[in-house]
Amino acid sequence: MSVVILLAIFLPIIAGTVSLVQLAGKKNKDEEPSQEQLTKLHYNVARVLLITAALAIFAAWRSGSENGVTLFYLMKDIPLYFHIDDVGRLFVTFISIVWVLAGIYSFEYMKHEGKEQRFFGFYTIVFGVLIALCFAGNVVTLYLFYELMSLTTVPLVLHNGSRESIMAALKYLFYSMCGAYMGLFGIFFLYRYCDTLNFVAGGTLNTALASGNTKILLFAVFMMLVGFGVKAGMFPMHAWLPTAHPVAPSPASAVLSGIIVKCGVLSIIRVVYYMVGADFIRGTWVQTAWMTLTLITVFMGSLLAFKEKIFKKRLAYSTVSQASYILFGLAALQPQAMTGALLHSVFHAFIKSALFMTAGVFIYKCHRTRVEELPGVGREMPKTIWCYTFASLALIGIPPASGFISKWYLAEGALNAGIGAYGWIGPVVLLISALLTAGYLLPVTIKGFFPGDAAKESYENLEPSRLMLVPLAILAALTLLLGVFPNPLISFAGKIAASVM
Amino acid sequence: MNAGWMAFAILFPILGGVLIPLLPFGNRKQMLIYVESVVLLNTLVTVNLLLHRPQEVFTAFRFTGYLSVSFHIDGLGSVFSWIVALLWPLATLYSFEYMKHEGHEKYFFMFYTVTYGITLGICFSANLLSMYFFYEMLSLVTVPLVMHTLSRDAILASRTYLYYSIGGAAFAFIGMVFVLKYGSGLDFVPGGVLDENLIGSNKNVLLLAFVLAFCGFSVKAAMFPFSKWLPKAGVAPTPVTALLHAVAVVKAGAFATMRVTYYSFGADFLRGTWAQKVVLALTIFTIVYGCSRAVKETHGKRRLAWSTVSNLSYILFGVALMSPLGLAGALCHMVFHAVMKISAFFCAGAVMYKTGRDYVHEWDGLGRKMPKVFTAFTVSAFALMGVPGLCGFISKWQLVRAAIDSESVLGYVGIGALLISALLTAIYMLTVVIRAFYPGKSFDYSTLEGIEDPNWMMCLPLFCFTAAIVIFGIHSAPLVEALTSIASVVG
Repeated sequence: MSVVILLAIFLPIIAGTVSLVQLAGKKNKDEEPSQEQLTKLHYNVARVLLITAALAIFAAWRSGSENGVTLFYLMKDIPLYFHIDDVGRLFVTFISIVWVLAGIYSFEYMKHEGKEQRFFGFYTIVFGVLIALCFAGNVVTLYLFYELMSLTTVPLVLHNGSRESIMAALKYLFYSMCGAYMGLFGIFFLYRYCDTLNFVAGGTLNTALASGNTKILLFAVFMMLVGFGVKAGMFPMHAWLPTAHPVAPSPASAVLSGIIVKCGVLSIIRVVYYMVGADFIRGTWVQTAWMTLTLITVFMGSLLAFKEKIFKKRLAYSTVSQASYILFGLAALQPQAMTGALLHSVFHAFIKSALFMTAGVFIYKCHRTRVEELPGVGREMPKTIWCYTFASLALIGIPPASGFISKWYLAEGALNAGIGAYGWIGPVVLLISALLTAGYLLPVTIKGFFPGDAAKESYENLEPSRLMLVPLAILAALTLLLGVFPNPLISFAGKIAASVM
Repeated sequence: MNAGWMAFAILFPILGGVLIPLLPFGNRKQMLIYVESVVLLNTLVTVNLLLHRPQEVFTAFRFTGYLSVSFHIDGLGSVFSWIVALLWPLATLYSFEYMKHEGHEKYFFMFYTVTYGITLGICFSANLLSMYFFYEMLSLVTVPLVMHTLSRDAILASRTYLYYSIGGAAFAFIGMVFVLKYGSGLDFVPGGVLDENLIGSNKNVLLLAFVLAFCGFSVKAAMFPFSKWLPKAGVAPTPVTALLHAVAVVKAGAFATMRVTYYSFGADFLRGTWAQKVVLALTIFTIVYGCSRAVKETHGKRRLAWSTVSNLSYILFGVALMSPLGLAGALCHMVFHAVMKISAFFCAGAVMYKTGRDYVHEWDGLGRKMPKVFTAFTVSAFALMGVPGLCGFISKWQLVRAAIDSESVLGYVGIGALLISALLTAIYMLTVVIRAFYPGKSFDYSTLEGIEDPNWMMCLPLFCFTAAIVIFGIHSAPLVEALTSIASVVG
């Protein structure tokens, strides 16, 4: 089984690297590839993505928790160690699904961006890095792949090479690095005050050692939360997200918003629930500060999204807000809230990817980037807009779509968490934000189908090709289906939450 | 091996170097072969010495009863000697190609080779006086290398360099006198030589002497407020800035502070005193200061020089923690920084040599034209930032471990400084990397016509350093173990 784990991680990394090296060795790099070469590239990428996804999911669900692989020792007592547990299973599964679908979507979409080989090279590498991140068995391994993730996603952001995208990529990079180093600050302290750096449900903090140094340790934990929170777009380090996500090619924005953000969430889950332990921060200033930051982010993100006119940017602000729903659920340090957080991670990954794919369709088919340009779009591409609408409903949280379930758990958890005023402030903020969400997502649908004064005589058919439509439809269907049949997922997430608290 | 070989390893390159202008070489190639053979032969001797370390002390000559120039190789000295011995032949190889466009090669190689011997003298010194002697020699013999181009800038820079170095050495001298007065001699003894009975009520005076000595020696390690000379000296040819101003000279400064702190004054005497706080604060400030200046600087080599200022203070920070763990971290960073920074400098040098472009904003788009050089540069940038899997992460980890262990506020502040500096490193290195590979849509590649990777003499050293960065990064345990055991004797 350990071979499968390593294969799932290194097959895409190696395949992507080989492709990039081959590209670097080419004489004439600016030459457009022929149709034939492009098809070959697509088949190769599809093959690698599918095999990797199959391997990763197989490794995740077919091996017991005792299965760990030590690759080598980075330092005397710190191995590069991979290990499979329930959180890893959950994350690797939805990451694989979204990654493959967005990959297929980009075969068509990337035609108008060009430089496909470079894009797909990095795209495959990142897939391997993410799988490694999910399977990371100790915090140093996690940190290693966290940094690699930041570095390897930069080329996805600056793909089109415009000045704006390069500046955005740099901003993204420096925010990420800043966050990573804040995380590292905490990891140094964990090394000193934890029994082991391996992830153990419930935490490994050595209470005897820690007792005299609680102050500095709490500070270190807070640094980690803010640091890893950078990737999840948590206030006050969220500013990169609305800059970087929209400038990337749409499939890249889809996975950045749907997946990469979740890796920040995953890292926070790992350090809070698997290293420090929920008990250590419950009731301290760290918990209060953390909840405050997340609620500020939830509200602020929605409000900014509501005001934003550039469609992709609006979606990016929405990500800021939604990712903090998840973080709020984690900050409540309560099993139901954590269940809600895990569910929302999964749902939001599908929803936001679907939404960004829709934005990609607008750009690809009719070069529309602003919301005002969208009226009537429902008549031109009804299937796409229906998919968009399902995903939107799910994000707003209208039953039976999936977002309702996760928000229900988040609110219920907050009420039961015994966190004082936050127990009701939290749900209220979530509710207001849901209203705002409806306010910034639904007009596109409504005006799309009922353009009113802006109506034209006739609409041409702008429906995208199946390569783009099918992934979008699958994701939209998933957001709906998971809301109708949520029980297996709820019980699985509940099991994870119960194991750590 | 016989202890006399130590003297041989010091004298041979000095003699071999001095002979270069005198020997009648038929052509350039003969001279290069001669230089490389001298350096390689000496490296072989040194490596052999390090593998079979002579236990006894070799006294070259004696001034008076207890003042002598003598050599002995202990753990600490061997670490520095390993660095010097392994890097010198590679750097020499690199300079064969690089110096083509600088001219006056005979004199360059003369001083370059002589410096090798003198640096080894610092490594092998068995007491403070011998080290001081070679330390001063090092300042003098490297001045001609700094002013090699004889431009106005170079002459001014070499003058600054000289003043700073000599001034620093004078302060160090004060410390030496106090050690002589209040200690049992000038020999290097792990744990220090100070005598409790002699000190009596003069503790504060001695602490002041320590601060003076520490600052004096760290002038060469470019600690704030003595860091100005290093970026200025960036006018020197790249082999000098790379090998001397990132490794040999500046690390000699760091090495000397280690000797003074752990082998003369003794860490026990200093730990927890105001003197420790002063030097810690200075190093922490320099860590951030150097990086900030590097961000601001747009001249390629000067930017790297400011980065060196910051990184050397990592080492000094480890030294100033006054614990075996701190010393181990400092040694670790001394080794790894040598590899990382020399690699970065050689890349910058290769770019300047091939294109004549000194400023980083002129390097846009070069990644495609010089893929090997910029791959090496990227790796060294990641390593300097401390990406795990490369060696910079390991040494940072060791340093921070020592800082957390100290459980002091300044230690924690130091960790913060290290991480801020890592972020700034990301800023000043990765902007270069990204713009080299992604110059932007509208960039016109025809302006870079004819630029390509340099030949093997420049690429081979780069390849070796890059490989070393990766190998040390993923398999550091044996080296870290060795360094920890070397450092453990001082506790």
